[in-house]
Amino acid sequence: MSNHLIIGQYVPGQSIIHRLDPRAKLLIVFAYVLIVFLANNAATYALLSVFAFLFAALSRIPFSYIMRGLRPVIWVVLFTFVLHVWMTKEGDVLYRIGALTIYEEGVRQGIFISLRFLLLVLMTTMLTLTTTPIEVTDGVESLLGPLKKMRVPVHELALMMAISLRFIPTLMEETEKIMKAQAARGVDFSGGRFSERMKAIVSLLVPLFISSFKRADELATAMEARGYRGGEGRTKFRQLAWKRTDTVFFAAVVLLAILLCLLRS
Amino acid sequence: MKFINTRTFVAVGILSAGAYLLMMLNFPLPPFPNFLLVDFSDIPALFAALLYGPLAGVLVELLKNVLNYVLVGSATGVPIGQIANFTAGVAFILPVSFIYRKAASRKGMLLGLAAGTATMVLIMSVLNYYVFLPAYTLFLGAPAMSAPETKALVISAILPFNAAKGVLMAVVFMLLFLRLRPWLQKQAAARRAA
Repeated sequence: MSNHLIIGQYVPGQSIIHRLDPRAKLLIVFAYVLIVFLANNAATYALLSVFAFLFAALSRIPFSYIMRGLRPVIWVVLFTFVLHVWMTKEGDVLYRIGALTIYEEGVRQGIFISLRFLLLVLMTTMLTLTTTPIEVTDGVESLLGPLKKMRVPVHELALMMAISLRFIPTLMEETEKIMKAQAARGVDFSGGRFSERMKAIVSLLVPLFISSFKRADELATAMEARGYRGGEGRTKFRQLAWKRTDTVFFAAVVLLAILLCLLRS
Repeated sequence: MKFINTRTFVAVGILSAGAYLLMMLNFPLPPFPNFLLVDFSDIPALFAALLYGPLAGVLVELLKNVLNYVLVGSATGVPIGQIANFTAGVAFILPVSFIYRKAASRKGMLLGLAAGTATMVLIMSVLNYYVFLPAYTLFLGAPAMSAPETKALVISAILPFNAAKGVLMAVVFMLLFLRLRPWLQKQAAARRAA
């Protein structure tokens, strides 16, 4: 649980997908989410599925991990499928079971919509499974770079995000410490009446806020003392490098989009 | 002019981390459907808005939801829940920070929290009816709900839920605020002197 809060769903690895530039991965996933909606027949859905499953296979992430991410979605998908089969009343009749009649179009629609949903979730989880949150931040900062001309403070936003990511584990440790300290003084966090529980939460939040503000002040002072003066001319510890594989993967998505446009009915 | 000073955005970053953690400690309120969850993650945003101005509060709401999307993900693949949480949070904290700025007293804070709750209830009911519920049905591929059905859901669940959530947050925030007020005033004074 605690690990999950800090690094999200990231599964460390050295696969070709892990090593892709985060910008390339962001662009690929974003493009994929858009072009999924182009598909409207068997051929186009098959192409999309092949792409997504190849992408997942190349990441070398064990199937069980991917399934764990998809588990909450499976029920929604099944529900959607059943709903479509039940509600659509077009095309030839396939089966007649008592009062329930299943139509061909219903099954078709059900499969397509569930598949679209599954593919959407699969590709977005592939991004978070193979990319650390800090890489995602760097990638977004770099991709939104051109917006700086429109005076959007991209650098500051990315730095804030990086600071948050850095402090999530620290604050979590702090929360645990405070809870233990308050429990030692007799505060009951796990039960009690509603008003008791609210009081318990306040006894946790007060020290947590004070220490957060103190940390913020210390960090800001440290940054200013070291001459931090905004994004202008700042050099970076983590450099992004666009490689040939990134171009290849990006080209594959563009090709996929073109094929979808040609094959859709 | 610089968009935001170093001290402010460092604080925003750290408060967002706190808000993200508080967001994970969410819980359903018994009579409401379990996709409506309460958490205290708007409280750090409210502190940011009061100490560093409304923009800082909005940024905490934004970052908390971006973190949640990147680290936890969304069941629909598209961050509708996060967008809804962001709008609700902003609708709650902005009135509080504006009113408290005009009337910096206990009464002003109570009035602000009441106004914030009212704004959040109003905006979330309207947006759920026109945007969020239709968006969920679109991305989940479920058949669209009819207008009266959506209206019934908004009136029977979403509206009272947001009202209850607003009151709960107001109570917890008020308790916090009364304890932290001397400290906050000292901070504000120090900031003016600097």
